[in-house]
This record gives sequence, C-alpha cells and structure tokens, in this order.
Amino acid sequence: MKKVILLFALILLAIAPFFGQIDLPLSELFNVNSMEHKVFFDIRLPRVLLAFLVGGILALGGLIFQTVFRNPMSTPFTLGVASGATLFTAIAIVLGFSTLSPLFAFVGAMMTVLILFGVASRFERYDSSSLLLVGIALSFFYAAALMVMFYISSLQESYEIMRFTMGSLDIVGFENIIILVLTSAFLLTVIFKYRYELKLLLTSYEFAYLKGIDVKKTNYILLFAVSVAVGVAVSFTGPIGFVGLIIPHILKTIYKQSADKLIVPIFFYGGVFLVLSDLIARNLGTSSDIPIGVLTSFLGAPFFIYLLIKRKSS
Amino acid sequence: MPLKIDNYSNEVLKNISFTLEAGEYLIILGSNGVGKTTLAKVLCGITPSSSVTIDGITPSKLYSEKRAKLINYIPPKLDIFDEFITVREFLELGALNNNLSINASLKKLHITHLANKTCKLLSSGESQLLLIASALLHDARYTIFDEPTANLDPQKMQLLFTLLKDETTLQSKVIITHNLDLAYKLGYNILFLAEGAVKFYGTSTDFFEQEHLDVLYDGSVKKNDNNIVVKL
Repeated sequence: MKKVILLFALILLAIAPFFGQIDLPLSELFNVNSMEHKVFFDIRLPRVLLAFLVGGILALGGLIFQTVFRNPMSTPFTLGVASGATLFTAIAIVLGFSTLSPLFAFVGAMMTVLILFGVASRFERYDSSSLLLVGIALSFFYAAALMVMFYISSLQESYEIMRFTMGSLDIVGFENIIILVLTSAFLLTVIFKYRYELKLLLTSYEFAYLKGIDVKKTNYILLFAVSVAVGVAVSFTGPIGFVGLIIPHILKTIYKQSADKLIVPIFFYGGVFLVLSDLIARNLGTSSDIPIGVLTSFLGAPFFIYLLIKRKSS
Repeated sequence: MPLKIDNYSNEVLKNISFTLEAGEYLIILGSNGVGKTTLAKVLCGITPSSSVTIDGITPSKLYSEKRAKLINYIPPKLDIFDEFITVREFLELGALNNNLSINASLKKLHITHLANKTCKLLSSGESQLLLIASALLHDARYTIFDEPTANLDPQKMQLLFTLLKDETTLQSKVIITHNLDLAYKLGYNILFLAEGAVKFYGTSTDFFEQEHLDVLYDGSVKKNDNNIVVKL
C-alpha cells in the first residue's frame, strides 16, 4: 500500500511540469532558444517546486501544531500567522506597494509571531490553550482590519487583495525557490533536533516534564520554527488552507505510526498533495487557473470528513 | 540527600512540612480529595514550588536528565496523546536505568505479550502495569506511585506487592494508596493527611493500632490477626 502510493507520488512529481495550458513536446524542451524551454524551466518547474515545498511546510507545520496544542483541528494558520500576512499584503496593495507585497506579508507573519510570544512570556504558567486563544483573538482582529482595508481600497485593489487570500502559485524563476529550500531545511533541521522531545510531547506534558524536558521551551521553539517557515511560505503564495489539517491525519491513517516517525513522509506528501492540487487547477480547461486555495479546500474537506467517518466506524 | 518540603500551602494543602531521607520509604494515606495527588505533584515539581528541595535542588527549576534521575511520579492513569505509540516505544522513552533492559522490565510485570500493542488500546489494569514498568526503567532516586493498585486484579496485586516489597526495586518509594492492607503489609512509615494537613507522620506499628484506626477512620476499619479489613 505504502509502496504503491509512493510510486504514484513519484510519477506524479515527474510528470507534473509537463501538463498545463500549453503542451510541451519533449523534442523542443532542450532547445535553449525555444519557447517550450522557457515555459518549462522558467514557469512550470519553479511552480511545481514551489507547490511541493509550500505543501511540505504547511503539512509539517500542521503536525507540529496538532502535537503542541493537543488539538487535531489546529493548523499553522490557527495562531493568526496567515491572517497577519494577509492583512499586511492588503496594506501593501492599498499603499501602492504591490510589488513589495511578499515582503509585507512576511513582516505581517513575523509580527504576529512576535506578538504571540510576547504575550506568552507574560503568562504566569505555561498554558497552550491560552496561547491558542490569543492566536484566535489576533485572527479576529486582523479580519476586522482587513475589512477596513477592503473598505478604503479601490475596486482594482480589492480584487488584488481578494486574489491573495485565495492563494496562488504563480512564480517565475528560481530565486524564491532557493529561499524556500533554505526555509524547509531550517524547519526540518529544528524538528529533527527536537525529535526526542517531540516524541515525549506525544505522550503527555507531565510525562515529558518528568523525563527532564522543559516543555514550555520546547513547545515555543517548535512553534517559532513553524511560524517562521509558514510566514515565508504564505508570503509567496497567500494562505492555502487545509493542507496542514488533512495531510497529518491522512498519513497517520495510512502509516499507523507515532507522529515522530512521520516527519519526512508528512513533508513529502504535503508537497505531493499541493502539486496534485495545482496540477488539477491548471488543467481543468477553464480560461484562467482556479485559485489553489479553493481547490485544496474542495478536495480536502470532503476527504477529511470521509476519513473521520471511516475512523469512527472501524 | 533528603527530599524536603518546607511549610507548603495552597488551595488544598496547609503548612505541609516533612523530610524523607534517601533510601527511606513512605506511604501516604488520606481520604478522597484530601490533597494526596496534589502533594505528589508539588513534590515532583509538576506543580512548581520553591518549598521543595532534593539535595538543595528545587525540581521544578531544573530541566535535565539530572532532575529526572532525582524524582519521578507515576500517575494512576496512563495519559497519552498519540494513538500509535506502542508499549515498547513508550518504555524506550526516558529509560535512564542502565541495569534493566526493556525486555526484562516487560517480563517483570508479565506484560511481554503487550510489547507491540499500542498504548491507547490497553485496559486500565494493563496500562497501570506499563506505568510501573516505566518507573522501573526510569529508576529515579524518589519514585512516587499514585494509587498503583487501583485497577489491578488479585494476581497482579500480589505481583506488585512482591515487587514493591523487594528492597532492590527502586531506591526510595513513596506510595499513595487507599488500600490499607497493602500499606500495612508493606510496613513503611505512614504519612496521613486530613483536611489538607499532616495529621500523622510515624511508623507503621503506631499507625495501625486499633484505637488509632478507630479515631482516624470512624470505626470503619478493623485490624484482624494479620490483616486490615474494611467493615462492609
């Protein structure tokens, strides 16, 4: 079962760049001056890589958040990181700095992280559910502020903001891919470094404490690493929902192993899921691509419910 | 190297002070809700307090294997978040005892057949045995067992009694229990809590005098030839 899925995933990754609105005959691909060569190497390949890395980061972020918050419904977006990025993108657009919007999005995401940890440092005792509530309160605040941005923006600006919130994988060239490769490497390194602590957190906080672990510090380091990585990802693509929620659940159902052993598979299949979603979005034959966030939710939500029902009945 | 708690109070407990020397054993008794578990959590630092010291170290302020080696708490129920962690994986976590292998600990508690089962699927008795195996592998200087016999069948109760009675099992054992017969047979010193305060702290012999029991338990407990029984 696992091997069959892996085989399909690898085939999917290999063929994904070849499908799109224009057919790319193999014979023209390696002709450096051809349009096909340009489309493949400047647009298709970066796009597939972007989808893969962002999907991986979001899925792994989901796993960490679900572990730290003891809540199967939490995702990297629950703490308001995505809303922060969205709000700041909207601000960039309204101020006339659309070209700088990824930078603004990143600042928004990071500011949210800093606010969260600033508030958390004032808690008398470590309490993950309070942190979660702060995140939710921030999200509501950002949502209201976003409404203000919509209200004061022109029609064209509103449209741009709207498109960002739907998520998009439009990208040209490899510069941004390098940033995402480094971000993914950072996230994976931190998580692997704290793998033993992560496994202890998968039992209970008390048990982890009794084994000598500083639960609060470990949780904060993990959340911080995820928030930074997700902040970078969201600044390129906008918020893409559901990946962080469903991929960890699906992988646990398939692998039936504790979460600490699923770090690499969850990253990999999170990437594959987003590549697949993007492939579908690009090839539905509509005149423009369907926003990726819409598709992940359309695919993800029913499948997630199906999984829950199946699990309850077994 | 004593475990010390000095004049600790909170919502439940009042002015708790006592000292337990390394290698000493203790049984904590008291009615439901009197603060036994609260006290245990304060002692091991899950509830932070600077009133507690071991070798002058406050457990809740130290995060390392060194602290883990000092004190351990075994809750009455297994609490585990991930649904796929197996018994063997659970025991591998924080197995600080170099003289005991995972397999030997499984064998000691007669749960070898459960090694590859996921913890979430264990019965309450089985998970209690797993927790005790984990305590043996952890091997802290002070180990606090919170109602270790609550879910055990009679044979498992005998198994656990023999294990606890064995002086080579763990260093200092602190046992919270409602099982007076177990407390009596173990013969350790007794700490009796009433209304959040220490009402008795002394030897087993003094505690299990019939007159003393009558006062503490309202005549509901009777000492027979060699047993403590609850009158039903």
